[in-house]
Amino acid sequence: MTTFNVHVTIENKPGISDPEGDTILNDLVLKGTHKTVSKIKTAKMLKFTIKEKDKKIAQSKVQEICAELRIYNPMVSIVTIDVFDA
Amino acid sequence: MSLESQELSELKLKIGRDPTSTELQIVAAEWSEHCSYKSSKKHLKMLPMKGPLVIHEKGYDSGVLDVGNDYVVTAHIESHNHPSAVEPYGGAATGVGGVIRDILSAGTRPIAIFNGLRFGNIEKDQQARWLFKNAVTGIADYGNCLGIPTIGGEVEFDDCYQNYALVDVAAVGFGKKENLIKNHAKIGDLVVLLGGSTGRDGMGGSQFASDSLESEDRSAVQIPDPFIEKLIIEAILEARNHNLINAIKDLGGGGLSCAVSETADALGVGIEMDVNMVHTRESNMHSDEIMISESQERMLIVTNKTKSKKLREICKKFRITCSVIGHIKSGNQMHVKKGKKTLANLPTNVVANATLLDLPSKKPAYLKTIEKEKKFKPISDYSKTMMALLAAPNIASKIWVYGQYDHEVGIRTVVKPGHDASVLRLDNGKFLSVKIDGNPKQCYINPREGAIGCFEEACRNVVCTGAKPIGMLDHLQFGNPKDPEIFWTFLESLKGLTDFANDTKIPCVGGKVSLYNETPTGPIKPTPLIGVLGLIDKNPLIPQKITEGDCLVIVGDTKDEMGGSEYFEYIHNFIGGKCPVVNFTESKKNMKTVLKVIQNQLLKSVHDCSKGGLAVAVSELCMTNQIGCNIFLDKVPGEKLDVVRILFSESHSRYLLVMEKKNLKKVEDMLRKDKVSFKLIGQFNGEKIQFTKGTKSIISLRVDKAHKTWFNSLKDLVLHG
Repeated sequence: MTTFNVHVTIENKPGISDPEGDTILNDLVLKGTHKTVSKIKTAKMLKFTIKEKDKKIAQSKVQEICAELRIYNPMVSIVTIDVFDA
Repeated sequence: MSLESQELSELKLKIGRDPTSTELQIVAAEWSEHCSYKSSKKHLKMLPMKGPLVIHEKGYDSGVLDVGNDYVVTAHIESHNHPSAVEPYGGAATGVGGVIRDILSAGTRPIAIFNGLRFGNIEKDQQARWLFKNAVTGIADYGNCLGIPTIGGEVEFDDCYQNYALVDVAAVGFGKKENLIKNHAKIGDLVVLLGGSTGRDGMGGSQFASDSLESEDRSAVQIPDPFIEKLIIEAILEARNHNLINAIKDLGGGGLSCAVSETADALGVGIEMDVNMVHTRESNMHSDEIMISESQERMLIVTNKTKSKKLREICKKFRITCSVIGHIKSGNQMHVKKGKKTLANLPTNVVANATLLDLPSKKPAYLKTIEKEKKFKPISDYSKTMMALLAAPNIASKIWVYGQYDHEVGIRTVVKPGHDASVLRLDNGKFLSVKIDGNPKQCYINPREGAIGCFEEACRNVVCTGAKPIGMLDHLQFGNPKDPEIFWTFLESLKGLTDFANDTKIPCVGGKVSLYNETPTGPIKPTPLIGVLGLIDKNPLIPQKITEGDCLVIVGDTKDEMGGSEYFEYIHNFIGGKCPVVNFTESKKNMKTVLKVIQNQLLKSVHDCSKGGLAVAVSELCMTNQIGCNIFLDKVPGEKLDVVRILFSESHSRYLLVMEKKNLKKVEDMLRKDKVSFKLIGQFNGEKIQFTKGTKSIISLRVDKAHKTWFNSLKDLVLHG
């Protein structure tokens, strides 16, 4: 068994509005001098530390946990799961 | 999401050609059940909508009531069932947003929010808990961010809502009569879209709401943004003060398609608009998507060229986007263009008025045997049963829910949630009392009497605060109307409500119909939800603390009506029996007399008997006042009944009156004079809730223990499963 760090990023599906990201962009970043920024999207990240046989199993296990426990709502959000060696 | 084949041929016949793709989308949205009310509209006309206080104007989405001194109150009710069932947080929150914009579009400031929530069995079902928790948080977050108090409502759980949610939201507005927006439009006026940008969220939501919910594979979710909503509220009210709004409409189900066609149809004008002028969230949106997107926090305003300059300034000040998307023209066409190209050109009366259906109805077979009662083993320990009922999710305190809502912001809330009805202070020195009630268990057993019961219960609740009912909102929620048995239950409920409204002269000032509420296990039970608004001229009855020696008088008869009771359904898991029936004469008499006694300021508090019957109602008084009470069951007026029925029957028109001993005689004299059925049934003292029959103690509970169970059980259930 190897220990892996698994990062789960949860964000709104493309096309669904993101008021928080828009507010940070319009009312903070663009208010300053950073005119080159065109978009900001907010997301939530969960960092799992998990012991599994290999990277692939670690990823599918975390995916399974997220779906089973409704850690995100597939109607609204998409998740990206990245696995790193601990 | 498309038209049925006969609807398509009808459309072709009406416009004399094949529709374009945009036209198809527009008509499909507008002719959906959600927007057109095609199954229900014919029948809804039976409800009495007129009354001395009701103000009618064309194009209003909310009901308007004159409350005197040149002030008006507006009210509306909406549901967001389908969206909430798949995304409870966003669905419930955007439901609040929608109903608030309906209040705003009459030109009044929203001052209170109410919610009626229904979910599956939260004791067993984790999904139901997830839906419940998130729907409540959604409402709380949205309302709290807006600075509008959420001051009342009700929550109920029933197996028939498995994997589903009914999220009903009502809102009340208040304003000067002279500020009401009188919708009108002149040729050449500008059509302005104001608020959030149009995106792909909530695509086809109205048609989605008109289909049965089968899979999760839908994209009709909307993301709430209460801060934009708040800015819209302030911007619109400022524009109203400067008289900049000729006509206004909220964008709800069906998006621009419905808002444009309905505005044009209501005002009897044509509208030409350009989809290129709509401010969108993404650059690559298709014209059809722009027309049917249900993105939240948007309003359609008709104004003229001169006024539009000032309107822009106001929007700039509040940092909300507004775009001129078209103008008013003569005729009655809704002309949608993309630059110079015509995408749709339809007569608005065709778009906005779907052919109304006359669906067949048939009395459901299950009703034949439903009134037959099962025999149950006699209860050996009533105290234990009572404790179980106090912990039942439908009866337990809803503090976990309303504790999350800011119910005091705006400093109008005089009677706060947790009592019969909440009371708001109005600027003209009067008070407004509002309550919403539903009871699917009783409506399932008897759709007519059940619906009347909900109506009467809401009336009772406002009467308990000293208010005279002045208007009613109805929200009729049923399964698939194409099933004749379901449609029969809809008609029966509606007829019942109509009869009671006519008899009590309480006009229906607004309403909504939500059909196709189906779960994977079948249709929901008939769930009409009734909101009642009551007006108090001078003194609301603010419940005072009950102390040693206070007397308890019951008004109204207790009858053998156990059908749909919490006792049958929760304790015995039995659906059936005779549903409580409202006796119209008795109901009116009791209401009038109780109001009179309250107005004479003889009472400390009044509570109605509803869910859980007399036993629960008395216990609630004891628990919230931390005082015991001795109740003599022999004294309870009504038919001669066994102990179970006296304790738990949910007969209507009953009120518990609490008064100091010195006022007892005066109260009794007044009740006797009006010939209402009443009895002194107990006295408050000690630390025990004690029900006795003859010399035999039936229930004996320590108040503190009962309170702990009742107060905490729902919270524990939600948080710890």
